[in-house]
Amino acid sequence: MCVEHEHKVAETYLDSGLPRVRVSCTVNGESVSRWIDPTMSLLHFLRHELNLLGTKEGCGEGECGACTIILGGKAVNSCLVLAQEAAGSRILTVEGLGQGGRLSVLQEEFIKEDALQCGFCTPGMLMSARALLDRNPEPEEEDIKEAIAGNLCRCTGYYPIIKAIRTASEREREASQR
Amino acid sequence: MDSEFVYLKPPSLSDLLKHLEPWGEQSKVLAGGTDLLVLLRRHSLSPAYVVDLKGIEELQRLEEVEGGDVFLGAGITVNEAAHSGLVQKRYKAVADAANTLASYQLRNRATVVGNICNASPGADLAGPLLVFDAKVQIVSARGKREVLLQDFFAGVKKTILRPQELVYGLILPAVAAGERSLYLKQARIKGHDLGIVGVAARLDSRKKFHLAMSSVAPTPVRLTRLETLLNDSPWSPELPEQAAEAVREEIRPISDVRASAAYRSHMAGVLVKRAIRYLMEEG
Ligand SMILES: Cc1cc2nc3c(=O)[nH]c(=O)nc-3n(C[C@H](O)[C@H](O)[C@H](O)COP(=O)(O)OP(=O)(O)OC[C@H]3O[C@@H](n4cnc5c(N)ncnc54)[C@H](O)[C@@H]3O)c2cc1C
Ligand code: FES
Ligand code: FES
Repeated sequence: MCVEHEHKVAETYLDSGLPRVRVSCTVNGESVSRWIDPTMSLLHFLRHELNLLGTKEGCGEGECGACTIILGGKAVNSCLVLAQEAAGSRILTVEGLGQGGRLSVLQEEFIKEDALQCGFCTPGMLMSARALLDRNPEPEEEDIKEAIAGNLCRCTGYYPIIKAIRTASEREREASQR
Repeated sequence: MDSEFVYLKPPSLSDLLKHLEPWGEQSKVLAGGTDLLVLLRRHSLSPAYVVDLKGIEELQRLEEVEGGDVFLGAGITVNEAAHSGLVQKRYKAVADAANTLASYQLRNRATVVGNICNASPGADLAGPLLVFDAKVQIVSARGKREVLLQDFFAGVKKTILRPQELVYGLILPAVAAGERSLYLKQARIKGHDLGIVGVAARLDSRKKFHLAMSSVAPTPVRLTRLETLLNDSPWSPELPEQAAEAVREEIRPISDVRASAAYRSHMAGVLVKRAIRYLMEEG
């Protein structure tokens, strides 16, 4: 990461100056532990402490879904969770979707279906979609729309995203039947 | 976050109440955080302590209790309520409303009780809980009390709760077989928006109507005049339309960023008509 980029990232986060607290959790299968500002959000913990920049900050207030991650098996807006609330939990971010240097089926389908343009919403979309397919491997179109209604996209018009999630679900089902 | 606060997660109810007794004024209870963390971020609030209730096991219950009533603890999320068979079967309007609140990922955090404690005029779960005559169980280090939800709201974002008190949970009184209910919400877009108007309606086993609305008054309200009109009138095909006209007389909505008073009033009538028609057809 370039220095300039690092500087810009730091701007969005204000330290309270309060004494640090220790937070330990499991992120993408790895145990992590940090001494942090007690008022830090989980989103800022991921981005600033762990340098996992895949998860995006849009509104910071639960409206846009760009910060969606999977916490304890459930999709949540990481901007509305304190890092301390996630202590002891298992967290999955977009960085944890692919395995062994290969993209996941879901990510491949997003690319194939042109389900992203600027890409800012994409990590959040992928995590909402991942949580959906985990709880419902055979979603109807309405289930997909419900799952991503909290993920705003200014570029794609949503239909390619819905299609990508559907085709990914089909491919995942085929793979699991084999 | 830019506010300064100390985060506490007491492992038991008595620990939490022991903290609130001296420190209640300077503390804010944290449930799902979907209202609270937004306010902290905006500096609209600056508590010294944020006290998380999610460490308390007994608040995570949603179950049938004595006499067929249902207990819904303060830790129960909106999605847990929406997906509960018990809620879907007996209190359909509550499940309907839960499914319309914010987005799927927000509902994974937001709690039902948090929605009530936040006391927004537009709280989606308030109307449905009002038509079922829900009771609010309140605890503090000094004891317990129980109030009707109707008496819990005190104004825009205000409740009767004292700083030392915690809402323990809600009691949903038993319903008879064959009851019907629904929640209809008008928002600017289909997904993920606060309501312009929300109508909760229930037809009980004695064929009495119960109605409540959100976003048309400083607090969610029970439509008592409309209920009287409906319950004193013989059923006729004109009844839904009469109800629509009557509700426009009963409510005094305001204009805001989401809708004008005139549009709110119009839609209140439309949704009441649809709700009554649905209940009459099904009943
Ligand atoms: C993007 C977005 C969209 C939203 N959309 C909707 C919507 O469509 N409809 C709607 O009704 N709401 C909506 N909300 C508001 C919010 O999500 C709900 O009101 C939610 O149910 C609040 O629950 P919570 O557990 O997150 O509350 P919290 O934020 O944890 O708490 C809310 C308030 O209640 C107090 N509190 C919570 N639990 C207790 C307790 N047990 N005892 C005493 N005090 C308590 C807290 O101190 C705080 O003041 C939205 C919010 C956001 C950010
Ligand atoms: S940054 Fe979290 S919802 Fe927008
Ligand atoms: S791809 Fe640009 S916001 Fe969705």
